[in-house]
Amino acid sequence: MSDPALNDPTELVQLAVDQDACIGAGQCEMLEAETFLLDDDTGIAALTGAGTLPRQRAEDVVDRCPARAISMVDQDDGAGG
Amino acid sequence: MTPTAPINLHDPQSFGSGIPHEAFAEMRANPGLTWTPPSDDTKGFWSVTRHDDLVTVSRDTTTYSSGVGHIQIYDIDEDALEARASMIDMDPPIHTRLRRLVSSAFTPRHVQNYKTSIRHRVQTRLDAVEAAGGGNWVDLVAKPIPIGVICDLMGVPPEDHDYLIGLTDHLVAGTGSETLEPTAYGNTTPLRLLPFNSPAAFAMSNYAAELGERRRVDPQDDLISKLIAAEIDGERLSTDEFANFFRLMIFAGNETTRSSMAHLALHLRQFPEMFEAVRADRSLLGAVADEVIRYASSILYFRRTVTVPTTLAGTDLAVGDKVVMWYCSANFDESEFPNPYEFRIDRPPVPPHVAFGGGGAHFCLGASLARLEISELIDEILDRELALEVGEPTYTESNFVNGIEQLEVTVL
Repeated sequence: MSDPALNDPTELVQLAVDQDACIGAGQCEMLEAETFLLDDDTGIAALTGAGTLPRQRAEDVVDRCPARAISMVDQDDGAGG
Repeated sequence: MTPTAPINLHDPQSFGSGIPHEAFAEMRANPGLTWTPPSDDTKGFWSVTRHDDLVTVSRDTTTYSSGVGHIQIYDIDEDALEARASMIDMDPPIHTRLRRLVSSAFTPRHVQNYKTSIRHRVQTRLDAVEAAGGGNWVDLVAKPIPIGVICDLMGVPPEDHDYLIGLTDHLVAGTGSETLEPTAYGNTTPLRLLPFNSPAAFAMSNYAAELGERRRVDPQDDLISKLIAAEIDGERLSTDEFANFFRLMIFAGNETTRSSMAHLALHLRQFPEMFEAVRADRSLLGAVADEVIRYASSILYFRRTVTVPTTLAGTDLAVGDKVVMWYCSANFDESEFPNPYEFRIDRPPVPPHVAFGGGGAHFCLGASLARLEISELIDEILDRELALEVGEPTYTESNFVNGIEQLEVTVL
């Protein structure tokens, strides 16, 4: 059963970055400069602040990551999205 | 029945009038992948023309390798692969360790450090166009800006920039049908061991070794100094590894953005209303730069080689099969980009164009730098209200780069 609330594009979702997978392409920082920051020395991405975005923007940034290093964390069970 | 390509994709002349869009549209409509049978100089190969299939190949570096076989359509011997290899010819994890040596210099935020110097280069070149009343846009604008920017980053002294432009021109000639003089630049290496079979690669390696040695002795705040001192698992890059890295950076930072900047002049002519919209709202600069990059599709393809039996789009692939990702087709895939031949500044961020690659380990290292360079050029053109009459392009004869050799402009 799909819950319509899960598809609400304005719902805030928690993001996570897999830093081993990150290749420093910087697409996340380009799209969401308030949420992602690439380290000056390593060029690897990290979350800044709470690391949340409205669902639609979260999906876009997950899709844009060429290394598939960004995931949405399911708040119910904590597993990666 | 396996569909076969309607044109000879291995023949540079098939790209002599720009991207053969009709042929690619036909291939995208074919079921499965499209086959090109063997010819005199290459085994047969599969063409990936749709966006979703291309992304699948690009992201799966285990099944579709860059390190096994060549990344160009034509095959080369094992010793040549070894001699030529830079990180673009490697798979993770070694690829990624090499990439991380330099990636922090190319992040979206970090490239902003170069913004002022890029703008200055742009202004100098547009001053030259205006002073001359026009000329060949490629020589006046598209060539000197990107080579200047990447040379600055690398630490190549300004007096050597023209020399490197000449070398990169000759590198690309190796992808066309022109016969190359084997002893040019004092070359003594068999051409088959040189990237693009080009003697210019020999010269570039020598140049890199000499400059690298200077920076080893007297380090500066540049990428050459960083690379010459870098260690991977406690080992420095060998002379060949360093030279190949240097050549890749110069070529990739130069040829691609040059091509986009050349195509930009055509776009100004063809789609003036889009640029008028950007003139009024400069927050659209990033969007218009990305559309220039999509529309130009400056790298036409890269090839991968299949490492395990697999199936893609219903086509069975065997170990050793050559799979060619046609970026210039996926960027015009009508199922992902509505009205793909329209130049639009309101395309959504997803799906992304694949002019920087289809994702995965080899996503263009210089993507943010390229966007910035092109944005600065457009911004300056709009600031000056530079109006140009733009002639017909002479395309580079190559099935690998969508280059323009000559494009006459007249300042109005």
